Amino acid sequence: MIEIEHLTKRYGAAAIVDDVSFRVEEGTVAAVVGTSGAGKSTLLRMINRLVEPSAGRVLIDGQDTMAIPEDALRHRIGYVIQGYGLFPHRTVAENIATVPRLLGWDRRQIAARVEELLDLFGLDPAEFAKKFPHQLSGGEQQRVGVARALAARPALLLMDEPFGALDPVIRHKAQDELLSIQRRLGTTVVLVTHDMNEAFHLADRIAVMNQGRLLQYAAPAELLTRPAEAFVEQLVGSAERPFRLLSLMRVQEAVEPGTAEGEPLSVADTLHDALSRLIWLGREVLPVADASGAPVGRISVSRILAHGRARA
Amino acid sequence: MSLRSSAPRVAALLLLVAFVTAPQLFSFAFEPLTANNAPAIYNQGSLLSLTLSHLRIVFLATLASTMLALALGIFVTRPSGHEFLPLSRSLVNIGQTFPPIAVLAIAVPLVGFGEKPTFIALFLYGLLPIFENTLSGLTGVSPQALDAAKGMGMSPRQRLFQVELPLALPVILAGIRLSVIISLGTATIGSTVAAKGLGEVIIAGLQSNNVAFVLQGGLVVALLAVLIHDGLGIAERVAARRSGRPLDEAR
Repeated sequence: MIEIEHLTKRYGAAAIVDDVSFRVEEGTVAAVVGTSGAGKSTLLRMINRLVEPSAGRVLIDGQDTMAIPEDALRHRIGYVIQGYGLFPHRTVAENIATVPRLLGWDRRQIAARVEELLDLFGLDPAEFAKKFPHQLSGGEQQRVGVARALAARPALLLMDEPFGALDPVIRHKAQDELLSIQRRLGTTVVLVTHDMNEAFHLADRIAVMNQGRLLQYAAPAELLTRPAEAFVEQLVGSAERPFRLLSLMRVQEAVEPGTAEGEPLSVADTLHDALSRLIWLGREVLPVADASGAPVGRISVSRILAHGRARA
Repeated sequence: MSLRSSAPRVAALLLLVAFVTAPQLFSFAFEPLTANNAPAIYNQGSLLSLTLSHLRIVFLATLASTMLALALGIFVTRPSGHEFLPLSRSLVNIGQTFPPIAVLAIAVPLVGFGEKPTFIALFLYGLLPIFENTLSGLTGVSPQALDAAKGMGMSPRQRLFQVELPLALPVILAGIRLSVIISLGTATIGSTVAAKGLGEVIIAGLQSNNVAFVLQGGLVVALLAVLIHDGLGIAERVAARRSGRPLDEAR
């Protein structure tokens, strides 16, 4: 768990980050969003002390980060930046081994860990371990960047626009992959992004920042239904709101008893996906099946629409 | 490297070795250049030992320039040394603007004749290319790689030796190569202050109006320069490949 308390960064008279406090629970993903210059990156970089706070403090599992030597602190925190910053003179395996090597793991332990991570990210060790970063595609570089950050099994992962350099198709896949790995490892993630879709897709809670201040820190659905300020409403996009809300909910929540004709939807699909299928097929209802394929009921356009409405 | 592209280099090397070890074999080529039965081949000392002395002083001077320029370049790119950047730049620039011959004139009264004044002149003259290339190499390291290195908890020393220097190495080597080539040519004037070197051959030729001598001295220096330039170029390409840059990008 990480607690950010009254964190402030001033350069001269200007406060880049102004008295920000919030808490990220163990094993969850928090996204920090805002326009550029809102202080998102500075906030993130104060967590691993790449930027020294002017005031306030950060607690990781109750321990003040100022009490830990800088380098030791960073060895414990995974860090992924836009463009990844892979070392061009080192192979993929050497890049991933960076922090374990700094920590003085023995050679066999490192080799085993590198292989494990390459497997985890779907990169064949025989093919990729010896490659250099410039021989990789953007998507592969991104995976190596995240694998490198996770090498020493950090409990906390900081990500600054980690998907910013990827094209939309690969980006979506990379986000899903990150989410599944995060769920599997139980890593706490703080992610900075200016892409609202990304924030809604990945985050358990979203922190909205503007001009250094934290405007709202809430679950995605709450941000949509109860935006704290006009700026938040504007940022999440009022026209997009119902659709964003639907994409946060699963078919499971709107399924009703009964049967219908057609190819069944899965309970795990989002309501957004379900509505899109219904519109496309010109149907009022479609059957719903659970993960094993057994029918569990049906879903209708009207039920979905009801879920996309603001609830007082 | 393919056989075909390395063939001229091998030929040049063989020619050089043959010439400095057994210059008499080549007298037929130089005879037409002589007049009044003057000797066609330099006869006042061994070409081989002059070549070795020449290389030795160039090597020592470049080594010293490299050590100082590298240390200075590293120092002024650290946060603590940043304010010394303009000062170091001017100092190194002065070293380059002072003509080596003037340095010799000043140094001889101070340290006497021989190798010492030549060493000083070459050392000063060689600083600038290495210093400037060290600077541009170190400041050219990708800021993202540096940020990542810092964010992963590398200490400043680890960042320098594991990230910055390996990535700057090809550019630094290019500076050293430039400095060596300049020194190889410049070292010939050391013979005016009695440093042993290939300048002796050229000066002897000038004094006795013997074009063959001048040509021999010049030819050996030129062959040395070409071969060393090539050799260091190969080292640079290896370093560039190691630093993860595709071959064609590295000069």
